[in-house]
Amino acid sequence: MPHSTPEQLALAALGEPLPDTDAAHLAGCAQCSAEVAALRRPVEVLAVPELAGTAPEVTPPPQVWTAIAAATGVSAVPPSSGAEVVPPSSGAEVVPLRPRRSRTRWLTIAAAVLVGGVVGGGAVALTRDEDGSGSVVATAALDPLPAEDASGRAEVRDVDGVRSLQVDLDAPSLPDGYYEVWLLQPDAVRMVPVGAVHRGDTVLPLPDGLDLGAYPLVDVSVEPMDGDPTHSGVSVARGSLQR
Amino acid sequence: MTALSRPHLPAMRPYGREVVREVAPVPAAGPSDAEIARRFCAGDEQALAEAYARWAGQVHGLAVRAFGPGPDAEDVTQQTFVAAWTGRAGYTPAAGPLPAWLVGICRHKIADTWAKMARQRRSAEAAAADARARPRAADADRVDDAVADRVLLLGELDRIGQPQRRIIELAFFADLTHSQIAARTGIPLGTVKSHIRRTLERLRDRLEVDGAALHP
Repeated sequence: MPHSTPEQLALAALGEPLPDTDAAHLAGCAQCSAEVAALRRPVEVLAVPELAGTAPEVTPPPQVWTAIAAATGVSAVPPSSGAEVVPPSSGAEVVPLRPRRSRTRWLTIAAAVLVGGVVGGGAVALTRDEDGSGSVVATAALDPLPAEDASGRAEVRDVDGVRSLQVDLDAPSLPDGYYEVWLLQPDAVRMVPVGAVHRGDTVLPLPDGLDLGAYPLVDVSVEPMDGDPTHSGVSVARGSLQR
Repeated sequence: MTALSRPHLPAMRPYGREVVREVAPVPAAGPSDAEIARRFCAGDEQALAEAYARWAGQVHGLAVRAFGPGPDAEDVTQQTFVAAWTGRAGYTPAAGPLPAWLVGICRHKIADTWAKMARQRRSAEAAAADARARPRAADADRVDDAVADRVLLLGELDRIGQPQRRIIELAFFADLTHSQIAARTGIPLGTVKSHIRRTLERLRDRLEVDGAALHP
């Protein structure tokens, strides 16, 4: 019986069934079997389920696009059919803050955290305590932004109608520059600077009359010592004030 | 009181000046895949965003299947799109659809991540073995070798021209038989078979020369 053709042996290596005559030959021919075994090696290396072309689609979380945009310097925004920009009520939204000068960093608003017990617009209920020592009227867990290593907690305290923001920041020390806290509107369009903070606890006065419902996001940025009072565009941690 | 209500400090107005980006609603029928691919090649940034909106789910699906949901899968997806964008000169629409090209890059990133994990495991084990003076398990070596071979052969695949590459990818990754491949691509059956044969030989040779695994 003649040997199988090289093409048939290749198909056998891929696991395709052979015509009966080839199959019968292969079973008894050491030379052809060895050839199939050799050709099967690349098949075993690459034709693994983990690399197969079809997998259930999974929507990446919003920080993936944020990171891509930051790495490529692309400022376009995926159409909203994409995963990363969906209405704030049901997911998260990426709002880039155009950096001043050449810094290309992005502010990410995880608007999903706004859903729920967020301080409502203009309706901050001051739960005054009875002993006059002040009370916590809102808190925010400060979570690191993608690729950042800062976190912490912020509390709005009210003492006889005078509010302050206490920030407990756990963040790397900065060789130059400083951390600054801002209160942001949900769209990151407008913001109020609250002040510089140290690592650890800092208490900052809040402007009288500031509507926390309109500025519910606590943002911590890294600011260079350049005398420029605007937000650097480099946020390291952020959280949403909740009652 | 907001930063914007200080008219005597016009320099402060940048707070609110330019941060909003319109998120355009998706038209019922957006640009065609081919149109996105063409603009992607041309360096149109919006095309990257559109490619992401359209195919990130597919790419991330592969990554999640390999690593589960979490940072590793997210890194793979991120690296895939960044590499596609920075390497867009290497893509030509003639070579196939853009999503297939993205998936090919994703496979590389998955294999690279496996290799990185294997390296990390090796160094951790080396430290442990040092302490305990115990050789590492042979099966762990085999796993590492398979990981290295995968990176090697994915690289070799990149060097294979069309339509040979498409044919072998359909065989490997879509699990199509040679007759299904012929039907899918319109390439004659005999040509498909001879391409498969030559490509498997080429990959086998590459493994024998540079492969990590010890072959009997």
